[in-house]
Amino acid sequence: MTETPFYFYRGATRLFGMLHASASPGTARTAYVMSHPFGEEKLWSHRVFVVFARTLAARGIPVLRFDYSGAGDSGGETASASVDAYLDDLGAAVEALLARVPTAERVGLVGLRFGATLAAQFAERARLTEKFPTVQRGPLALWDPILDGENYIQELLRINLSTQLAVYGKVQESREVLVERIRGGGIANVEGYEIGLPLFASASLKELLPAEGLRHAGGTLVVQIAATEKAKLREDQQRLAELSTEGAFQRAIEQPFWREIKAFCSRAENLQNQTLQWMEQRHGCQQHG
Amino acid sequence: MGASNMGEVLPVSFRNQSGLMLFGSLHLPETSPPPIHQKDLPVVVLLSPGVKMRVGPGRLYVPLTELLNSQGFRVLRFDFFGLGDSEGDLAETVLADVYNNIEVGRYVDDTLAALNWLSAEHGAKRFVLGGLCGGAITAILAAERDARVDSLLSIGMTVTLASNAAKPGQYLTRAQLDDRRRRYLLKMLKPDAWLRFLTFRSEYDVIWKSMKRAFIKEKRVVAAPVAINAPGAPGGPAAPVEQRGNANPLFPKAYFTFLARGGKALMLFSERDRLQSEYEEKFAQPYAAQLAPHAAQIEQHVIPHANHVLSFREWQEQMLGLSRAWLAKLYA
Repeated sequence: MTETPFYFYRGATRLFGMLHASASPGTARTAYVMSHPFGEEKLWSHRVFVVFARTLAARGIPVLRFDYSGAGDSGGETASASVDAYLDDLGAAVEALLARVPTAERVGLVGLRFGATLAAQFAERARLTEKFPTVQRGPLALWDPILDGENYIQELLRINLSTQLAVYGKVQESREVLVERIRGGGIANVEGYEIGLPLFASASLKELLPAEGLRHAGGTLVVQIAATEKAKLREDQQRLAELSTEGAFQRAIEQPFWREIKAFCSRAENLQNQTLQWMEQRHGCQQHG
Repeated sequence: MGASNMGEVLPVSFRNQSGLMLFGSLHLPETSPPPIHQKDLPVVVLLSPGVKMRVGPGRLYVPLTELLNSQGFRVLRFDFFGLGDSEGDLAETVLADVYNNIEVGRYVDDTLAALNWLSAEHGAKRFVLGGLCGGAITAILAAERDARVDSLLSIGMTVTLASNAAKPGQYLTRAQLDDRRRRYLLKMLKPDAWLRFLTFRSEYDVIWKSMKRAFIKEKRVVAAPVAINAPGAPGGPAAPVEQRGNANPLFPKAYFTFLARGGKALMLFSERDRLQSEYEEKFAQPYAAQLAPHAAQIEQHVIPHANHVLSFREWQEQMLGLSRAWLAKLYA
């Protein structure tokens, strides 16, 4: 197995990628791009992504992990990020993967949280614009996708309030003030990541994915990540899967490894196994593909 | 504050002593080819904090790398084994145990492997080790063992062991207890706080300790001087020393060994971070006499209001400004 770090570009923005592949990726017909979540969630979930990518690569399936602009080792800043810019990043990542694995006929996408939402939006955009045919044919695995963008952005801003509370002993700037500032062209800081108007305007939407489901031909797996068996069913995620073409819904019992918890999670066995099993059913996963 | 001002970056990999591949990136100053004085500058190695990968929490190391590059320094950031993109697995299932193992030097060998690789592949002769929290303690433990490290850029040095933090009331500093007392007094008018208190859900030991401090004067602790490694002698693992409370017994010897050979340290702390009062009360005050002769080698600042990871831009900018000035003074 080889792991090759490299840089590629979306316009003038330098993006970091890590290609996981078997010794001879030149014969692979399916490959994957992984789409990480926003902000600090990316760092907490990093190792789960690495382990999953290595597992696929050990089965002969090349995987590209990459950093969106403003994240990890990539250039750019989140303050100027937007959903469109992120989708362009993802497009550049798919092209970078295909340049290195030219035999790939299908490019699957695996995403977590906001990264899952971006993966689904990208697949929809590929279908509507009739671009990226390899992606249109590839499987789409959405790990706990964010569907309600309004609520999600409010959650992010709540983190800013928690920081204020911890350091000043009180909330000096309410969420309303933060939103007002963003709308006025300023930023709000969430654990070191700055949210500006482009991201706020494009992500703070009630429905980030089509309510009528995805029309993705390659098949869509939606996974609710639940901390326990008793956790409440995410009906919105289930509905998305049921309404999607070739959609499937599953619940995986995992701790919320994308944020700081008492446990140290370097892998997510249930999530990984369920996803691999679905991939196997879709296209065959071992030495395929 | 992003990566808009990036110079050349090389994705790099090298093996540690166990044969595991470690991944990182070497960031070069924009001027190419580097003037002679840049080649004479030490290489800065930024060490990852906790379980975060090589960019640090909130990408703290990205603007820091840009700053260092702008001053002519080459910068290496890499992932320790079992973390980030590097090979290897960690067996722990509890985060505090991972932190604890970092604090007792788990990644010193990886750090030394990075220094050896930089020497062999890039002709580096001396180094600045930098890092936040777990990165800072790894830096000083590595500096103890490698005399090529001539300065330390520490952000939030941790001088305690995380596993003991599972007993929160036992090891709080005086500053933390005073802060808690202020908060408890404010809560006295809140019914839900009384409900917690009367239904056995409060931290009674912490409440008692914090209130007691208002009435009972404590004796100041003075620690016996620690022995240091002889100048020029290989560091080797630290000799067993007595552990006081949750203080990391490895820190004093490593720090004094580094200072005794002339090492310079920038010690930055965040005001709203327990690490600052822990450093003062569990190290600087008990070892004041042994620390005094080295005062000129240490520059210490506390960034007002800042939290542990310097998440707000103004805190980061203060950290960058202090780092810039200190490095300029040392290596101008």
